[in-house]
Amino acid sequence: MGTWREIDVPVWETVVTPCDCCGQVVAKRLWIVEIDGTEQRFCGEECESLFRTYVLPERAVRAAADADPA
Amino acid sequence: MTDPVTLTVLNNSFVNVCREMGLTMIRTAFSPIFNEGLDFSCVVFDRRGNMIGQAEFCPAQIAASLYIVRWTLEELGVDSFEPGDVVLHNDPYRGGAHIPEHSVIRPVFHDGELFGFVANVGHLAEIGGMAVGSFAADATEVFQEGLRIPPIKIVKRDEHDMELWQLIMANHRTPRNTWGDLNAQIGSLRVAERRMHELLDRYGRELVEQASDELMDYSERWMRAEIEAIPDGVYAFGERMEDDGVGPDPVRFHVQVTVNGDELIVDWSGTDPQARGPINATYGVTAGATYNAVFHLTDDGIPKNSGAYRPIRIIAPPGSAVNVQYPGPSVGGNTETHPKLADIVIAALAPALPHRAAAAEGGTACNFLFGGIHPKTGDYYANYHLEGGGWGGTAAQDGNDAIIVKNGNCRNTPVEIFETRYPLRVIEYSLLPDSGGPGAQRGGLGTRRVFEIEEGAEVTVNALLDRTKPGFGAWGLAGGKQGGPAAILVKRKGETEFRTFTEAFGTASGSKFTNIRLQAGDRVIIESPGGGGYGDPGERSADLVTEDIDQGFVSEEAARTAYGLES
Repeated sequence: MGTWREIDVPVWETVVTPCDCCGQVVAKRLWIVEIDGTEQRFCGEECESLFRTYVLPERAVRAAADADPA
Repeated sequence: MTDPVTLTVLNNSFVNVCREMGLTMIRTAFSPIFNEGLDFSCVVFDRRGNMIGQAEFCPAQIAASLYIVRWTLEELGVDSFEPGDVVLHNDPYRGGAHIPEHSVIRPVFHDGELFGFVANVGHLAEIGGMAVGSFAADATEVFQEGLRIPPIKIVKRDEHDMELWQLIMANHRTPRNTWGDLNAQIGSLRVAERRMHELLDRYGRELVEQASDELMDYSERWMRAEIEAIPDGVYAFGERMEDDGVGPDPVRFHVQVTVNGDELIVDWSGTDPQARGPINATYGVTAGATYNAVFHLTDDGIPKNSGAYRPIRIIAPPGSAVNVQYPGPSVGGNTETHPKLADIVIAALAPALPHRAAAAEGGTACNFLFGGIHPKTGDYYANYHLEGGGWGGTAAQDGNDAIIVKNGNCRNTPVEIFETRYPLRVIEYSLLPDSGGPGAQRGGLGTRRVFEIEEGAEVTVNALLDRTKPGFGAWGLAGGKQGGPAAILVKRKGETEFRTFTEAFGTASGSKFTNIRLQAGDRVIIESPGGGGYGDPGERSADLVTEDIDQGFVSEEAARTAYGLES
């Protein structure tokens, strides 16, 4: 279960925050979810879903391919 | 439910509001990049940040505006807008395609209530930074690329904030043009606001809002139907850029497209990490290139509004060459990387859509920037010049010749305008024989242009091209061959041969360099690349090859060696 977190940007901060799934800028509110012990920051629940159903399985496939290049 | 006739009338009205904004720009801007080159785009949004109208402008800017407007509204808050405000913004990390492109956004209020926004994205020809024309081909940080402006109100309730204007113009080399061009953009917003008021007066706010929602749903349904017609599966393709302008190594881009029912997941995760030089794409560029490719592969009748983009999910890892992070440079990502990314998506899906896919296009805008003190006026000038190249052949026809890259619908600047404004003379401007990749359908031809610096002038030049090295030409499809390379060469006054800029000036890259001083009598050749061919060249009919020879598109030697034509 995730929670919304407001981004409080100091006036000197010029770095924007990207979504951990799609890479888009999150301008005001982050959707925070802990997955496998790591805090992930998303645009919203749609990206959380895409992260779970596509990104994580893809990473596992790539990691397996990297470990076994043959 | 709105009746189909009213829906069509309103959809065309939104498009025509954007077209009239464009005409305002052409007639009122100071710089040839706008009134000749058309390097700008005009769009209409609803109050939630959904695009409801666009016209036939630059695909890269239109797609970037989706993010620029939405993220600006989120960052500033919709409630912060008052009638007559204009927000200015060119931050590449906040949706922009690259730093020269300045967006202006104006709210449209009707009867005291916010209806939506009109916006204009335009490429200012000079915004300061380390290189004249603000196309620093060897930049390693955004600070070298020009003045970066996060979303700020430059006009408040129709009053210009002159202190902000002064700050901006003090950082540009041609501030009078900045004043004229930005005010042309702002003026186009006023025209659009007036037209939207007329539309809202005539049809009523409720109907216009309902119709725009229905039009977006209609576009979404149509796009989903187009995607559903593509066989489900995973499609992939990768390609390299020859260098990043700073180091000698190529930069690799890779896409994996998953078609799952009526949705696409376009995943750029296999792309190289962010490059040190300025060929990185912003998120807006990568998303724009992805949408551009999908629009090339689907029915062109789909109304282009936010609904059409909904079924396409894009993954662009932050810190990679497809999603540059602060303070990485990105000025070349829009012109050099966007067309390659779009062609990579097209190539990935080509096995599933062979009748709609094209071979790769030239894929470089051949950016050539120059400036200095004009010997006839004593004024500082700067110009952004670009060249069209060949486009790829398709299953149905040869590629087009001398067309600007896919990210823009820009035009070239007529020689007469060019020579009137700047102290360079055009010695030759021609199609380049044999530059089109051989194929059953031949790739389009690139061009050759030769400039000479006029008497009394000293010109500082920058260039950002790609595809000059062997093996990096536009790829063919279905057995078609690679298109011819690009080139940029120089011959100093008194010399007999053209050489690369690396040979003549020691630049790190032969195709990407800044701040080279040329003197009167020096000459520069720019050759744009040809497009890739489609299909086996041996299947091209002898009649067509003979016609190509007659037209000067293909030499007799290439007709024999590439097409097997017996004399």
